[in-house]
Amino acid sequence: MSTDTHLAPPAPTRPGGQTRRRGARHLWHQLAADRWAAAGAGGVALFLIVAAAAPALCALAGQDPYTYDLDALSDSGAPKGFGGGISGEHWFGVEPMTGRDLFAIVVHGARTSILVGAGATAASLLLGVAVGLTAGFYGGWYDRVVTRIIDVLLGFPYLIFVIALGAIAPTSLPKPLLLVGVLAIFGWPSIARVVRSQTLALKQRTFVVASVALGAGGWNLLVRQLLPNLTATIIVYATITIPSMIGAEAALSFLGVGVPPPTPAWGRSIGDAIGWVQTDPMFLVFPGGALFFATLAFNLLGDGLRDAFDPKTRGVRR
Amino acid sequence: MKRRSAVALAVVLALAGCNANPDQKPAAGGSNAGTEKGGSLTILNAASDINFDPAKSQNLAITTLGLVLRRLTTWDVQPGKPAQVVPDLATDTGKTTDGGKTWTFTLKDGLTYADGAAITAGDVKYGIERSFAPELSGGLGYHKSLLVGGTEYKGPYSGADLASVETPDARTIVFHLKTAYGDWPWIVSMPAFAPVPKAKDDPKKYNQNPVASGPYQVQSYQQGVAVKLTRNPNWDAATDPVRTAGPDQITFQLGQDTTVQSQRLIADSGDDRSAFGAGFVAPAQLAQIEQNASAKQRLVTSDAGALSYLALNTQRGPLKDVKVRQAIQYAVDKRAYQVASGGAIGGELASTLITPGIAGRVDYNLYPADPSGDVDKARQLLGEAGQTSLNLTLLSENDQPNLAKAQAIQQGLQRVGITVTIKPVDEDAWTAEVTGEKGDYDLTVSSWQPDFPSANGNIQPLFASSEIGRGGYNIARYSQPEVDTLIAQATAETDPAKAQALWAQADKRILQDAPIVPLTYTKNSFLHGSKVQNFYVPSFPAYPNYLKVSLKQG
Repeated sequence: MSTDTHLAPPAPTRPGGQTRRRGARHLWHQLAADRWAAAGAGGVALFLIVAAAAPALCALAGQDPYTYDLDALSDSGAPKGFGGGISGEHWFGVEPMTGRDLFAIVVHGARTSILVGAGATAASLLLGVAVGLTAGFYGGWYDRVVTRIIDVLLGFPYLIFVIALGAIAPTSLPKPLLLVGVLAIFGWPSIARVVRSQTLALKQRTFVVASVALGAGGWNLLVRQLLPNLTATIIVYATITIPSMIGAEAALSFLGVGVPPPTPAWGRSIGDAIGWVQTDPMFLVFPGGALFFATLAFNLLGDGLRDAFDPKTRGVRR
Repeated sequence: MKRRSAVALAVVLALAGCNANPDQKPAAGGSNAGTEKGGSLTILNAASDINFDPAKSQNLAITTLGLVLRRLTTWDVQPGKPAQVVPDLATDTGKTTDGGKTWTFTLKDGLTYADGAAITAGDVKYGIERSFAPELSGGLGYHKSLLVGGTEYKGPYSGADLASVETPDARTIVFHLKTAYGDWPWIVSMPAFAPVPKAKDDPKKYNQNPVASGPYQVQSYQQGVAVKLTRNPNWDAATDPVRTAGPDQITFQLGQDTTVQSQRLIADSGDDRSAFGAGFVAPAQLAQIEQNASAKQRLVTSDAGALSYLALNTQRGPLKDVKVRQAIQYAVDKRAYQVASGGAIGGELASTLITPGIAGRVDYNLYPADPSGDVDKARQLLGEAGQTSLNLTLLSENDQPNLAKAQAIQQGLQRVGITVTIKPVDEDAWTAEVTGEKGDYDLTVSSWQPDFPSANGNIQPLFASSEIGRGGYNIARYSQPEVDTLIAQATAETDPAKAQALWAQADKRILQDAPIVPLTYTKNSFLHGSKVQNFYVPSFPAYPNYLKVSLKQG
């Protein structure tokens, strides 16, 4: 089969590459023209920078998310002063009952969220694309088995599963890794399903049929013919999956099965803040706002990318 | 014998505490007025279930089960006075002729159940016997190891009876104990000493509808929703000086999260005016109530009582070294812990094992330090022990209040180079782990409220080597023959003054070995509606006295 590979004329791929390059430039223009998508891209960039530079930002504020500041609290454990203790020292105020700096917690929480969100997305994409592509391409019993597994996983009550898993997992296993693994296991089936259906459609297209007729092997077809044509779908799916993964991570932290304390996590802060909403609403506003804007930014970018890639909505102004 | 005597009270998140602020109520609008009869009282409860089976219950004498089931003795708790053990079904609090080894009780005349049948001494004996049955385990079990033959007895369902409980006639009951035990009158106030008629016993169903001997009977039981109690027509107030039975009807609303309870009672509208919460008010709500004049008036906070402490597993690695444990005494940030449990209203800093309000307590501090700890001293002790960096696991219950406390401990120890990893597990797993055989943890935070007001209840369950594993609460896994001897001596001592001196000696001796770090004497806060009267948290225990609560009429 390998001898067949270099016999295949390189011609179809070269124009393809040029189209893609032209496509990328075109895509960029499309995105720049779409104000919402541009705002989303800006937001995503901002969150990535904040997450990457979290320790530096905290050093700038002279804070870290672990040090208690009991002097910032009143006798009952509630923060002293305006807006939950907002001051030049504590930019977002402090956490009730500990006096830890809320700015540092939110900024470091971005790390947790984005790390788990992006990690889980990458892992589920890898798994989903590999399985979806092969299932769609090869078909047969393999496809039937994979489709059934996908159905089972999609119908599985994953929250309950994760809570149960959290109870039995050994402490030596790092919790972020466990979270990424679990979210990926329940994240790949929807990706695999989309990729499989796209593959089924592409398989019938003339350029694929032609490659087969010219003797292209399985690997060549999968990687050089099918995958490049799935790129748009995968990119759009990834940008939409990241915010849902971030949301899922926050939900798990909210339920107490996310990363263990004291590692900052937005979901846990939101969970803690609920009891304080009447006395210290800012404790809910900052982590809640961060989660809201992060998911919004990723969703806007994802929407923009989809519009840019989709010929049907191309040129439709919003 | 259990960490939380009021689990059946549904204080799910809560840790127990003791002792009340008796002066607060008269100032807060005369709720110690005479008992007005009538009305429908609602009790908001976080649990989804109330177990009315006396054999399985860990209820205190003055809470839920006390409304339905009478025992040989009960507690009389009044604002400003220490709790007294008083006769309930019995005519007195027990007679002993041989210095506390044999106890005789006589039942009052004319006592009947809700169905009109007479209450006999045989029913009380049967009630005690069934508490030994393995299928009915889980209740307060102090009597099980005290009665002769108790350790081998397996309950009445196998046909055998317990010979050490004698009923010479229908109104007399005699107990034979293994050793002299001066606190026996308190033991017979526990739920297992409620009468159970053998003919009506069905161990599978008795938990929802027991045969009532108290002023109320269970009218309806909907698991997870509500339990309704109505008056027991055959209860005779003349035989019962303790229960005032004010409301005509009492409804337990189940599954009410403590935050929800607080918000409903702060709002104080509609039927919630005739309600009170069985759960402790959480710190976040305490801060909210602080700013609400109406709710602040209806908040009742107990005096400092139950001990909350950090247990150091004395059988694990570096913690075997007493120097390391003493270093931790100095390293802990008690102030951060106090703030995490609600600040000054959540508890006072602790230094002893015997809690305030218990007779014979001697106040002392073996490890004097600033409330935030003494970092230099801790480092020095660690250095002497040859430890520079330690990694310890802290087992914590997985809920916000407990994790907040765990983190306060964690950041304190971090300052001296001890890295603490918090392992959050759910409540059942926590209990199984700390009371089980393996003891796979280094540290854990817990609290202890004695089940009866004696230093015995402070020390024996937590530090006797017989209480390690097998369901015992010696969670520091502390074993010291010298202390075991002291405990045995103090338990057998029938002269209260001598016994108290021995307990105080044991208290100090144990802390020299530093198996635990005393953190705070906790305070419990409860909230009630504006129509609720006679609502107070007694000096012991730190729970409202359900037996005397009444409603303002009109």
